[in-house]
Amino acid sequence: MAGLASAALAAHTGKLDLAIRHVLAGLGHGIHAGRERGAGVEFSEYRAYAPGDEWRRVDWKLMARADRYYVREAERDSHVAVWLVLDATASMLEPSRSIEGLDKLGYARLLLGCVGAIAQRQGDAFGLVVCEGERAHFTPAARGPRQLQRVLSLLERTDAAGTMPGGEVLRASLHFARAPSVVCVAGDFLEWPSPLSEAMVRLRSMRHDVRALCLQTGAEIAASFDTRQAWRDPEGDGKLFRFGTDVRDGYARRRDDHFAMVAQQCRSHDIPYVAAPIERAPGGVLRAWLQAKLNARGGRG
Amino acid sequence: MNSLWWWALPVLLLPILWHRQKREQTRALPLATARFLPASKPVQLRVWRWDDVLLLILRCVLLLALIALLADPVLPWRGDSVLVVPGADPVFVDRQARAAGLADARRIDLPGREGYRWLREHEREFRPQARLLLVGDVAMPAALPRLRHPLTVRPQAAPVAPPEQHVAVYSRRAQEWRTLFDALGATQRYVIEEQAGPGTGLLIWDLPEPPPAGLRAPLWWVADTAAFPELQKAPQADGLHYLDSRRGRLWSAAWLPPQDAAAARTMFETWQRLHFGVRPHTAPAQAPAVDARTPAGPDGGALRDMLAMALLVLFALERMVTHVRRR
Repeated sequence: MAGLASAALAAHTGKLDLAIRHVLAGLGHGIHAGRERGAGVEFSEYRAYAPGDEWRRVDWKLMARADRYYVREAERDSHVAVWLVLDATASMLEPSRSIEGLDKLGYARLLLGCVGAIAQRQGDAFGLVVCEGERAHFTPAARGPRQLQRVLSLLERTDAAGTMPGGEVLRASLHFARAPSVVCVAGDFLEWPSPLSEAMVRLRSMRHDVRALCLQTGAEIAASFDTRQAWRDPEGDGKLFRFGTDVRDGYARRRDDHFAMVAQQCRSHDIPYVAAPIERAPGGVLRAWLQAKLNARGGRG
Repeated sequence: MNSLWWWALPVLLLPILWHRQKREQTRALPLATARFLPASKPVQLRVWRWDDVLLLILRCVLLLALIALLADPVLPWRGDSVLVVPGADPVFVDRQARAAGLADARRIDLPGREGYRWLREHEREFRPQARLLLVGDVAMPAALPRLRHPLTVRPQAAPVAPPEQHVAVYSRRAQEWRTLFDALGATQRYVIEEQAGPGTGLLIWDLPEPPPAGLRAPLWWVADTAAFPELQKAPQADGLHYLDSRRGRLWSAAWLPPQDAAAARTMFETWQRLHFGVRPHTAPAQAPAVDARTPAGPDGGALRDMLAMALLVLFALERMVTHVRRR
């Protein structure tokens, strides 16, 4: 019930940053490391304060002199870029059949926003790639609260439509020279293999830490849909489908086979794969997603 | 019998069903995992909404009017009434109406003496509580009628005026015929004519030559069968040959013209009985028993014209609206 309440709260919170703050507050400590990293952190420059900056990073002496807030920017030896990849195809609009107003896209938005917020707190650069309507919207990686606001605003404006962009488009957008990167991909993975799955495998082979979050709904898992209703594939060609007790077993079998294949391929390419119903509390799913261990080389905590 | 047509009212359901909107089941909700479900064909759905409501109403009313026309409904609209036989004395009628407490009741002039028959045919037009008074020279029915309304009969025997009969005589001994009819003129008045006209009831052909082609009358007395050789083989009853021809009914007997009083009386009685019927007696003053379970009489067709007109108008409107809709 706590999970349901939390997911429903996330669904009904209009402001993404508020929901992220709520999720991250519920996580407590341990999901992200402290910002200060000892010797590795060196002063780089001052920059103007932006909402979201921690107060302890404000230089009070400079404020007393200039009567403005300035924040000390630190430069770190190593930079880990975090890439948030959102599958915003039409099938991501699949709503939860038990929680009003909650859909896969909103849930993916929230979790990617949380990852972005964590990256920002850690001082990592993070970028965003939204696969929507046969195109990939690319936001270059950057650091800081302004980048977080930019990313959150982009996430909030994202609307799911169309199908997955082609392989060429994804190859051009998801080509990260800087290593190492963490690539967090949130989607429903109903199409597999797909340009996105190929891109994930390719990035993994380039030694990036690719993490897959497969979002499902409780109704999909339990195979319980309205039997009187005709259904259509949001990314299909308008053909009609029907659900009934007679086809329930076949549906469950085909679906399980599909996701077993997805999980198996992810495993074989050493991509941590977490499948979660969107009715579950986002905090737990986020923890499971980010803490999933890589098989051979170990993952980031 | 006609009221059985009301059972055809369910026919009204047909246009209602036909006008239900046909809609293919295109309203399908998106389901991300639909690809794991078997495909289904679009289903024709009939939703409980109607298109062309005006046309639907027109068609329903049209069918209703048709059924009503066939069922021939009779609305009980007559209240207390005084049924007046033609020829009744108005003073007598007023007196009887006052005596029966129906002074203000509506007066209905009957078309003839057959008051009981008229009442039986129109009894459904009277409201259940209506009281009826039948005044005048009412013909007595063969059997006591059974009515659903209380009826009082106040007869007034009218003096019978002898009806006039036109007789055309074609004979060389016309004077003999004239004498014969003069002798019989006590009960009826006979008008002897030399040429047959449209009012001629009896034509006497007492000539050997055949009559002209256009001569026609309801009844011919043929005294000289030389003009009608077919009468020789005609069937006979009591020596009277009879034959129906294009000119009318032919009678012929050896004793025409009647030579004695008995033969003349027989001839005349036969004629009167067969052609004019028996004049019914005047019904006695009576109040027939009222029985509400008496089966209703034949239908009156009071609304038939109105319904037929409504049907015509509705049909024209329906055609026009259908035409406009198709354009």
